[in-house]
Amino acid sequence: MSESAARRRFLDNPFHVLGLPKTATRAEVEREGQKLLGMLGLGLASARSYSTPVGPAERDDAAVRQAMAELRDPDKRLLHELWAGSAPDAETDVASGDDTSPRGAGARRWPEARRVLGFGARRSR
Amino acid sequence: MSGASERAFYLGIDLGTTNSAAAVFDGEKVEMVRNAAGNTLTPSVVRIDAKGNVTVGARARRLLESDARNTRAEFKRLMGTAQRLSFAAAHAEKKPEELAAAVLSALRADVKEQLGFLPERAVISVPALFELPQSAATTEAARLAGFTKVELIQEPVASALAAGWTVDEGAGRWLVYDLGGGTFDASLLETQGGMLRVVGHDGDNFLGGRDFDWAVVDWVLAGLAESRGVRIGRGDAEHAAGIRQLKLAVEEAKIELTRATEATLTVPEAFTVGGEAVDVEVTLDRATLDSLCEPLVERTIAVCQRLLETHGAAEPGKLSRVVLVGGPTVMPVVRERLRAALGAPFGEGLDPMTLVAQGAALYALTAGLEARPDKREDGVGQRVWLQFPAMTSDLTPHVVGKLVGSASGERLASVRLSRGDGLWEGTPATLDAEGAFVTSVELLPRRPNVFRLEGTSASGARLPLWPTTLTIVQGLTLSDPPLSRTIGVALASDLVRVYFERGSPLPARRTFVHHTVESVAKGSGDFVLKIPIVQGELDQAHLCRLVGTLEIPASGVTTTVAAGAAVEVTLDLDRGGHLSARALLPATSQVFEQVAHLLVPDADPDVLEASAAAMRDRVSALRADAFRRGAGKAVERLARAEGDLAAVARDISAGRGGDADAAQKARRTLLDLDGELERLELDKRWPELEQRAQREVVTALRWVSRHGTAAEQQLLNELCAQVEKARAARDPAELARQLRVVDDLSDAAFYRDPDVWPTLFESAASRADQATDLVAASRLVGDGRAAMERRDTAALRPIVEALWKVLPADARQRRLGFDSGVR
Repeated sequence: MSESAARRRFLDNPFHVLGLPKTATRAEVEREGQKLLGMLGLGLASARSYSTPVGPAERDDAAVRQAMAELRDPDKRLLHELWAGSAPDAETDVASGDDTSPRGAGARRWPEARRVLGFGARRSR
Repeated sequence: MSGASERAFYLGIDLGTTNSAAAVFDGEKVEMVRNAAGNTLTPSVVRIDAKGNVTVGARARRLLESDARNTRAEFKRLMGTAQRLSFAAAHAEKKPEELAAAVLSALRADVKEQLGFLPERAVISVPALFELPQSAATTEAARLAGFTKVELIQEPVASALAAGWTVDEGAGRWLVYDLGGGTFDASLLETQGGMLRVVGHDGDNFLGGRDFDWAVVDWVLAGLAESRGVRIGRGDAEHAAGIRQLKLAVEEAKIELTRATEATLTVPEAFTVGGEAVDVEVTLDRATLDSLCEPLVERTIAVCQRLLETHGAAEPGKLSRVVLVGGPTVMPVVRERLRAALGAPFGEGLDPMTLVAQGAALYALTAGLEARPDKREDGVGQRVWLQFPAMTSDLTPHVVGKLVGSASGERLASVRLSRGDGLWEGTPATLDAEGAFVTSVELLPRRPNVFRLEGTSASGARLPLWPTTLTIVQGLTLSDPPLSRTIGVALASDLVRVYFERGSPLPARRTFVHHTVESVAKGSGDFVLKIPIVQGELDQAHLCRLVGTLEIPASGVTTTVAAGAAVEVTLDLDRGGHLSARALLPATSQVFEQVAHLLVPDADPDVLEASAAAMRDRVSALRADAFRRGAGKAVERLARAEGDLAAVARDISAGRGGDADAAQKARRTLLDLDGELERLELDKRWPELEQRAQREVVTALRWVSRHGTAAEQQLLNELCAQVEKARAARDPAELARQLRVVDDLSDAAFYRDPDVWPTLFESAASRADQATDLVAASRLVGDGRAAMERRDTAALRPIVEALWKVLPADARQRRLGFDSGVR
């Protein structure tokens, strides 16, 4: 329904955003994040992009802060390590669209979609 | 830098309900600022006389009882409301933030007295559970007091920072128990490797030491009713003066009882009933005081235990320290009950009264907010723009710099940093093509480290640089402050589009594209398209709190905006949790930034009465059900809810007597109760939710195994474990949260199915006759049919999406969603 969740996950992976290996210590995360924030604060072009397995991406303040926060939380970090380690599939890039859906199961643009399509007791094809 | 007058100072202010305090940090030690009377605490009391002269602090406090019509206290609780406070003699009405500004101005003057300059920047503490309007009012107060820049810090975080700064201790979990005059906060923090992280917090925005006083006042009044047969209520306007005197006497007795075992409450001729004077003269002993306060202390402990349970720190031994903050924590009954209930040592040698201000001052350095006004910088040499952490736990942080402007003479080629003590020298860092350099420095622990900057040209000549030095303090640091409540936009479907999840780091900014659910005709009278901004953790908008509404008025649009038109909404939050919002209408290229009602709603006693009555019905329905199911825990929680409802009834009657603060308190308690009952009702529906979880996981497994990538499959396995965990813990909110992620994953795979768009099209087309724009809808249906015949699935997708935009929103849901005009 949107830019594939998998692709987003690669682009937003905190390890990629910070340019760190998944073995980075907590102190390294803080140090690198602090450095990138400083470089972005000075408007340095060298800090404005980073590479991911699905191509380069734009880096900004908010992304760095978010990445640092994600890696401070041990539970979330575990999940990101998993993703940072896996290779992307060729098909992860689907069509583009707007971002995540609002929360709540019925929040999709067409709330009845799931029911009509037999979600819940989804038919097998 | 040399000399005390040149040193950098960082100012922290604890703007309290009862007392306020200021502290300054110079990189090495924290010092309290003393007021004219030589005290570190300044009562948050403001008096305005007939001539308009403003008095703040102890002198105003003394007149609180004798000149109540011109003296105001405890206005912090009203911050962010539309409530005005009147000063009779001056014929003036003041907003709560104007009174807070008077207190801040007084503290600012005290700093000038002590340090010789009027501070311009500061960090001000606010309760952890302050809502956006309350934070906004605090920032406004600082601006009115003459500060050019302030940041807000949550009180518990400030306390922990101050406590952590003095304790040399490795990793551990701390509970900050902050019982103030008007609020109670419990926060769980974790220190590890010099970093302080907020794990979670809980609290009661309207429970404080003041409630202890009122409990005693109620007890005295009940005694009068029994012994003298006079009925006096807290809300009776004719007894207001006597009640105030009695409360002051109670406050004094309470302080006396922290040491003595008995105190006398004497208020001669406190009340006049039927033309006769009624004296108050009672002896209050420690045991009575304890028994009166105990239910309130128990309430705070229940909050602590709920917090510890939520974060898996409930077992004994998991907590390494309890930090006590606030005047009421010196009461023996509080300490005894806490020690028994939590079983962790108290932080030693910490002043519960000034800890918050100290922490705020420490944070001012982290945030780089120097108090001193900017000096004219007229240094010689090439200007370098530097970025480095002013305070860090890192022993080898990075310093980033960039040459600004073009200097005459030789070109700067490299920069070297050396520490002031001469024991460390860095290697020269070469400037890159952008004129920038990145290097790292070595710090000595727990002190300010000064580094000299030396510039060298390509030929090796020394070049003077400006600034000449930089200072980094090594010590406990705080990660970016997390957002305490989820913020989003309410949709016409009564759902919430989340902009910032609770716990997101601040500052933050996000933009989402919404679509209008109806057209906004140019100049069509009073019509206003609303974009409600809500704060809260629940899925449905009406269960969250409305904190502001972005408005697009028909009178303001330059051309008519069609239904389904795009609206780009951007929400911005600064580090202190201050919100700004804007909506961009690409159709007219207009920006709307008018946020209406950024206020805590007024508490009308009639409305409160009605919702309290409805709440009582819900409680009894739930209780009947809980008994039938034999759910002991639910019964217990409901008993507590009933106790709260009784307190609400008392507060409503005090509200009718003119106590706006009591009415606000009732409103908040009712909202909290609503959330609690909602959870209990959710609990009742647990089996249903569990079934839904099973169903969704099964569907997700099916779709992801069919169309998901390897990574998605792996992630789903991980998520299934999380869902299982939430199920085992019987945590409906967590289960719902995990299911949302499962759903997203399931959806991603589902939409890869080749048959998706034709099926979605058929269903949308069947509702086309209800569309808000029939012409557009029938055209789209025609286009869709043609695409189907061509078997052109790619073309079908935009058609279906366009169709969804013109299908109507459900009126009832929209009303619940604060009349949201967007989806």
